[in-house]
Amino acid sequence: MSQLSATDSAGFPSLTATKRGFPFTGDQLLALAARGAGAVVLLMLLSLLTVLIHATWPAIKTYGTQFVTTSEWRPNELQVPKRNDAGKIVFDEDGEMVQTTLPAKFGALAVIWGTAVSSVIALVIAVPLALGAALFLIRIAPGKLRGPVSFLIEFLAAVPSIAYGIWGLFVLVPLLQKYIEPSILSIASHVPVVGERFHHFLGGDTGLSGRDMLCGGLLLGIMILPIITAVSRDVLAAVPVQQIEGTLALGATWWQSARQMLGYAKAGLFGAVMLGLARAAGETMAVTMVIGNNNQIALSPLKPAQTMSSLLANEFGNPESDLHRSALIAVALILLVMSLSFNVVARYLVIGRGPRRAS
Amino acid sequence: MTTATLPDLAPSPMPAPAALPQADAAPRPALIEAKNVSVFYGAFEAIKSVSLDVSTNEVVAFIGPSGCGKSTFLRSINRINDMVRGCRVTGELKIGGQDIYASGVDLVTLRRQVGMVFQKPNPFPTSIYANVTYGPRLQGVKKRQELDAIVEDCLRKAAIWDEAKDRLHTSALGMSGGQQQRLCIARALATRPSVLLMDEPCSALDPIATAKIEDLIVGLKKLVTIIVVTHNMHQAARVSDRTAFFYLGKLIEYDETSTMFTNPNQKQTEEYITGRFG
Repeated sequence: MSQLSATDSAGFPSLTATKRGFPFTGDQLLALAARGAGAVVLLMLLSLLTVLIHATWPAIKTYGTQFVTTSEWRPNELQVPKRNDAGKIVFDEDGEMVQTTLPAKFGALAVIWGTAVSSVIALVIAVPLALGAALFLIRIAPGKLRGPVSFLIEFLAAVPSIAYGIWGLFVLVPLLQKYIEPSILSIASHVPVVGERFHHFLGGDTGLSGRDMLCGGLLLGIMILPIITAVSRDVLAAVPVQQIEGTLALGATWWQSARQMLGYAKAGLFGAVMLGLARAAGETMAVTMVIGNNNQIALSPLKPAQTMSSLLANEFGNPESDLHRSALIAVALILLVMSLSFNVVARYLVIGRGPRRAS
Repeated sequence: MTTATLPDLAPSPMPAPAALPQADAAPRPALIEAKNVSVFYGAFEAIKSVSLDVSTNEVVAFIGPSGCGKSTFLRSINRINDMVRGCRVTGELKIGGQDIYASGVDLVTLRRQVGMVFQKPNPFPTSIYANVTYGPRLQGVKKRQELDAIVEDCLRKAAIWDEAKDRLHTSALGMSGGQQQRLCIARALATRPSVLLMDEPCSALDPIATAKIEDLIVGLKKLVTIIVVTHNMHQAARVSDRTAFFYLGKLIEYDETSTMFTNPNQKQTEEYITGRFG
């Protein structure tokens, strides 16, 4: 071999690199390809952000910060009766109402509110159940049960969201409309003193559709339950057995030891919750089917609402104007930034510091 | 049979603290008595019909090659092996005259009485103070003064007070390995155990830290009965009163340490101690 032939006086082979192929070696080609692939991923993210920001520009220019501080969302011009300064409707000489035109208006606060509240409802439902299920799998479930149950949970996490949506529409919505929400209203109206007002506040006077914030939040909770359970289970499984034995050896009961275990894994568990939150905030089809799609900020969970993603699903197909399209893209940008920050925080917590292994 | 140095192991909401056994009381009563104890992992018999007894306030060393079952036997004494799936114990294992594998035994009380120090230091990722007070807090001790007193007392007994007193509220994970192990000993002492099980407590430590732990073991036997599993023959010779040699799950020989290391009865013991196998 050539590199062995060039030896110095001591018989040690020369260490000068010699070319082994032409024009590139396999190593160089592979390194080049890998670098290219990495660059493509980064470029995709960059171009996505660039395009979104560029397309959002008209909306930002028109509304500025008002876009996220107001909740009026009106894609079309609106004819309304003209009112004078006293608030009275103005009539012309023939006794006809004078019409005036309100321009299209876009404020995203209502959908930001919808996304935030439905995600919080989802977390309130999913987190306790997911932590309980994960503890069960790690600490209680007999070995024979652990595999199949884990498989089922991972399977549930992979079910397409449209399937959850159909289930929500045909099972959850009627259930809420016919049984659960009337019971809530009836309980509310029996609260002493404020009962009637409470009933009115919840929306009891306007009738129940079952498609409302509560339904959207519930369905989201069910949808993110598997992913939070699966990640929490992995996080808890990574708690060193010495830690658990340490608590038991000091006379901890089962619950005391489990609590110490949750404390040890808290960073990873928080990451699991953030991953669930990111999924809840970005979820589209299922929520669109059950949340009622009404652009309003209502404090009652029994009233219809709208999330950012359901707004996009409903309106992006045929925008009324360029400004409407730009405003919708702005909503998408807000959602992207939100989800991205959730994910970054979650990944930092799950992988970066605490016990290992993300999804 | 035995003087009861253990509180009743039946469940009780607030167990009475153990009376400290008298040092050098003769004749020494047997505190731990094992009769034909076998431990199985599934179908595998890790400990084969072992009988031995341990007296109050003595230090017993378990030696033997890796996989001989000495740790398994140790972990059966506070029933921490219950955690391991498929682990089963037969025979009779009594502490203070009470069969710890009888039905109705309260594991919480048992483990407070039979403390354990593990091979790898396992402080909780909290402050030094919180580590020591973990056991007492579980028992419902809440008063700050009382907890402060326990912390100082236990850290002193574990010979780490001087190093730890100025950083009680900093993370225990910031300590060196040897300090962490002494903290774990202090933590185990805080539940006022009668017995302390030590599973190769020095195998992860450097020689200086090891020497400190060994001194500690000798000093602590006034307070507790200690069983220490070790791979280090010199350590067994230095710290223990009696030594048990395990091989392939059987107890080969159990005698005064001085006898074991100078004039063992069994050929296998002699070969292991002199380093011809293991």
